[in-house]
Amino acid sequence: MRRLSLTLLALWPLAVAATTESSTDPETGLVTWQTETAGIQVRLTQISPDQARAFYQARGFSAAAAERYAGECVFMTVVRNIGDAPIQHRLADWRYVSAGQAPRPIRSKTEWDRLWKRQSVAESARIAFNWAQFPATQTFAPGDWNQGMTTYSVPHGGPFDLRFVWRAGGKQHSGLLEQVRCADGHA
Amino acid sequence: MDMRKQGWIAALAACWVLGASGAVWAADLPPLSTNLTMQAPQPAPALKLKGLDGQIHDLAQLKGRVVLINFWATWCPPCRREMPSMERLSQALKGEAFSVLAVDVGEDPDTIDAFTSQLDATLGFPILLDTRSRAMQAWKVAGLPTTFLVDKQGRIVASAIGGREFDHPEIVQAIRDLIKK
Repeated sequence: MRRLSLTLLALWPLAVAATTESSTDPETGLVTWQTETAGIQVRLTQISPDQARAFYQARGFSAAAAERYAGECVFMTVVRNIGDAPIQHRLADWRYVSAGQAPRPIRSKTEWDRLWKRQSVAESARIAFNWAQFPATQTFAPGDWNQGMTTYSVPHGGPFDLRFVWRAGGKQHSGLLEQVRCADGHA
Repeated sequence: MDMRKQGWIAALAACWVLGASGAVWAADLPPLSTNLTMQAPQPAPALKLKGLDGQIHDLAQLKGRVVLINFWATWCPPCRREMPSMERLSQALKGEAFSVLAVDVGEDPDTIDAFTSQLDATLGFPILLDTRSRAMQAWKVAGLPTTFLVDKQGRIVASAIGGREFDHPEIVQAIRDLIKK
């Protein structure tokens, strides 16, 4: 299955080979993965369960709702246009692959919001949540960048590959962040 | 314990959490950009909100001035990073036909106060409260921070998605060019 998943990823249209670099924050031990390719820079930085929990509890989430989110694999995600032409981003096009799994889309803000409504999370907290997540769609002019949280249903400490997708010049492009790893559960 | 005191404690707690986590995330962020994206002028949506100062601030009342409108929140690390440069920009253009409006999304005054009180400089521009993010939706903001530059005729002429070093010479010059028009 793993081989099949990677094969599917390899067949993505206009995929560009690029190197994934990683660095570790010496203070926190949290790791950042970054790649640059064809005018786009994408980086993922681990957010520990404690950080995710504290952030949302401070925004009005109940302990149970915050725990639900902290149970996911959470990353601070940054996309930056480092080229000289606009790029169009659509998070729904991104796919991640973990061991033994087919490529999966990232859970959308809309899906999360449905869950928070069921859990009676206050509107002010849901507004904060909405704007803290990485935007669903956005056009980045040269120099533009944005950041927000993305979540992956991968066990804490587990690895996955992320295929990120964007449009530029009327064509769809994609790149790969390889062997990204979720923050440890006890981090 | 009275409500105001409870509010301050909650704000300080939030600030501590955000400060700690913000510092972690900010440690490996990309640098702030130094450009604005110029665009064909288009009419700016209405913007009329209550400010942190208790006054109503209306963009329509600022016709004849170039206005920088920044959508932000205290929990957004690049928003926090770029805020001091916005104050420096405001000071650099003091006395000229230029205004800054910082529109906070979804936060209460105590939370904002807790953040601004940590800054080295006192902010000289108003902070508007978009409590239910209606203004952000009207301005079609997809993520924070997002900034617009409105010309003297009330038209959006430039924008910036993501954190900026607002007092960078390139941005200051772009604004001065607009003031002179």
